Amino acid sequence: MNNKHIALVIVGIAIAILIQTTLWVQGLSTKMRSQAESAEAAENQANAALILEKAQVSELKRQSGDLLDFLQVWLPYFQAFETQQAAEINFTLKVKESNLLNLAQRFDVAPVVGNASISSVMRAFLTFEDDYARLLNWLGGVEKNMPTVRVSSVKLSKGSRANELRMEAVLEQPLLTK
Amino acid sequence: MQISGRFIDDFKTDRKGITPPLPTILRLVPILFYCAIAITLLLSSVFLLQYRIATQKRDGHRAQSGSLETQTTNAQSERTALETQIKKAIDLQNWVSGSRPLQPLIVEISRSMGPKANIIDLAVVRDEKAPAQVALSLKIGTDSVRQLDTTLEKIALQQYRAFSPTQTLGRGELDYRATLVRQGTTQTVPADPVQ
Repeated sequence: MNNKHIALVIVGIAIAILIQTTLWVQGLSTKMRSQAESAEAAENQANAALILEKAQVSELKRQSGDLLDFLQVWLPYFQAFETQQAAEINFTLKVKESNLLNLAQRFDVAPVVGNASISSVMRAFLTFEDDYARLLNWLGGVEKNMPTVRVSSVKLSKGSRANELRMEAVLEQPLLTK
Repeated sequence: MQISGRFIDDFKTDRKGITPPLPTILRLVPILFYCAIAITLLLSSVFLLQYRIATQKRDGHRAQSGSLETQTTNAQSERTALETQIKKAIDLQNWVSGSRPLQPLIVEISRSMGPKANIIDLAVVRDEKAPAQVALSLKIGTDSVRQLDTTLEKIALQQYRAFSPTQTLGRGELDYRATLVRQGTTQTVPADPVQ
């Protein structure tokens, strides 16, 4: 092997290196283009997911418009009495304001089954003895002015005096789940 | 003129120590080398340009994807919050639907009493599991069943329908029991705020 052969081999190696370099750069470019295509596909997918999600949200809003309006109107009424103490004080005040002859009153907290938003109720067991009209006006007033209060039981019977009625009522004030 | 032999090359005799030339075809090797340099430069430039463009595109798509995913997450959070609100609204609506005032019903029953009748006992109790249903227990001091018919008409006017009614008449007292279910569920919004 003479000098010319060595020179030829060196030039050949140089050519091979040049070809390899070109292929390497092409590989980089191909890889990057592949990444760009993947990123574009991911963007399209994300865009489709966003469109779907927005459509679901707007459809849900459209379908539940009445319910949301209802919640907006009624929620403050429920939030007015968030604690047992507040509910009990309110019942006591209502009884005092009534000026009815209150024979007995008792309060009790009871759990509510099947309603995730209302965990419990404050029950007021009230016994009155008074004039028929005053009693029923008071009951009607409570049901009107305290719209979230549920009158779960009313028992009317003759009172101890003439023209008087005995009313045993159970009222329930819902307490929202915190 | 004589020239010294020292300065004259001998072209006739082969010089010793000189290697034989390579085959003619191998003269293309240098040409190939220069061509390889040129092609390498050209192709590498093109590929690098494509690489840079692809990098910009990839980064742009990734940034856009990130933004879209953030928006999707926000929309999902909004939907979750909305579903929670809807669930809450349904729960509250169920409560309100089961809390319809009983006072008008009691007043109607009382007003239905004729001159020869009076209420001895009246009990209206909501069913705990189905609050739209009300158990009515009514004891009337009367000798006539007609009074009950009048009372039931008044109850019907309040949009209540009686189920499983039982009635007993004896010794001037009429005992009536039934489960009342309200017909129609139109929602009303309270006009006055809670005190």
